[in-house]
Amino acid sequence: MYGWIWRHLPGNAWMRALISLVLVLAVVYVLFQYVFPWAEPLLPFNDVTVDGQ
Amino acid sequence: MARARSRIAGVISVFGELLITAGVLMGLFVVYSLWWTNVLADREADKQGNEVRDHWAASGPGALDTKDGIGFLHVPAMKNGEVLVKKGTDPATLNNGVAGYYTEPVKSALPADKQGNFTLAAHRDGHGAKFHNIHKLKNGDAIVFETKDTWYVYKVYKTLPETSKYNVDVLKPVPKESGRTKPGRYITLTTCTPMYTSDYRFIVWGELERMEKVDAERTPPAELAAQ
Repeated sequence: MYGWIWRHLPGNAWMRALISLVLVLAVVYVLFQYVFPWAEPLLPFNDVTVDGQ
Repeated sequence: MARARSRIAGVISVFGELLITAGVLMGLFVVYSLWWTNVLADREADKQGNEVRDHWAASGPGALDTKDGIGFLHVPAMKNGEVLVKKGTDPATLNNGVAGYYTEPVKSALPADKQGNFTLAAHRDGHGAKFHNIHKLKNGDAIVFETKDTWYVYKVYKTLPETSKYNVDVLKPVPKESGRTKPGRYITLTTCTPMYTSDYRFIVWGELERMEKVDAERTPPAELAAQ
């Protein structure tokens, strides 16, 4: 899977490493900005109030 | 034969990469929950807190404005500075690194009320983690609530390290579970426990000891002077 991505990136090894780094950062950004804020209320880690439900 | 074997190896290798990816994802989620949400919440809480202080400085005496936040909670034993208190305990409010006072299921009293229970909730971890150190509170510790013109000094008299999340009786105007039976001016702090989960709730009760008028320099009461 990752090998397949590596083989399909253009340029020499340095270029590919640089593009990989940018891709990783983009994925982390999307996760922190959109995916985790969406997932967090669905997970039972952070309810702090007492309530009847 | 060799081709079949290499196909099996390929499938196993993709499966392994998926497992590694899942592990990295979970690790990132922990980083997000315990670090990044604190960064965002502290930034937002500072901004909102400054707005409230500016608002206090600019306006003369007047009706309590509950929209921006009603004041600041200072708990020296929790070593977390001041916590802005706003109305409501829904996640959108609490996620900004503030404490909220309950509007439901049991409506909170306000400190200025002649009697009742001022009930608050805040996060234990992430989103500012304002009540992270709630377990460090002992009987006799001070909880100070600062409004525009009054310091309310409460003293802790009872802690309940673990109770059900359905136990709304802890919020009653007279919290019988704390041992008190007469109406008075109480404060109740609630958050989740054990740390990093929300299986149970941690409760701390305090009772108003005295009030001090805020002077021109906003000199804090003796309980906060050591900070």
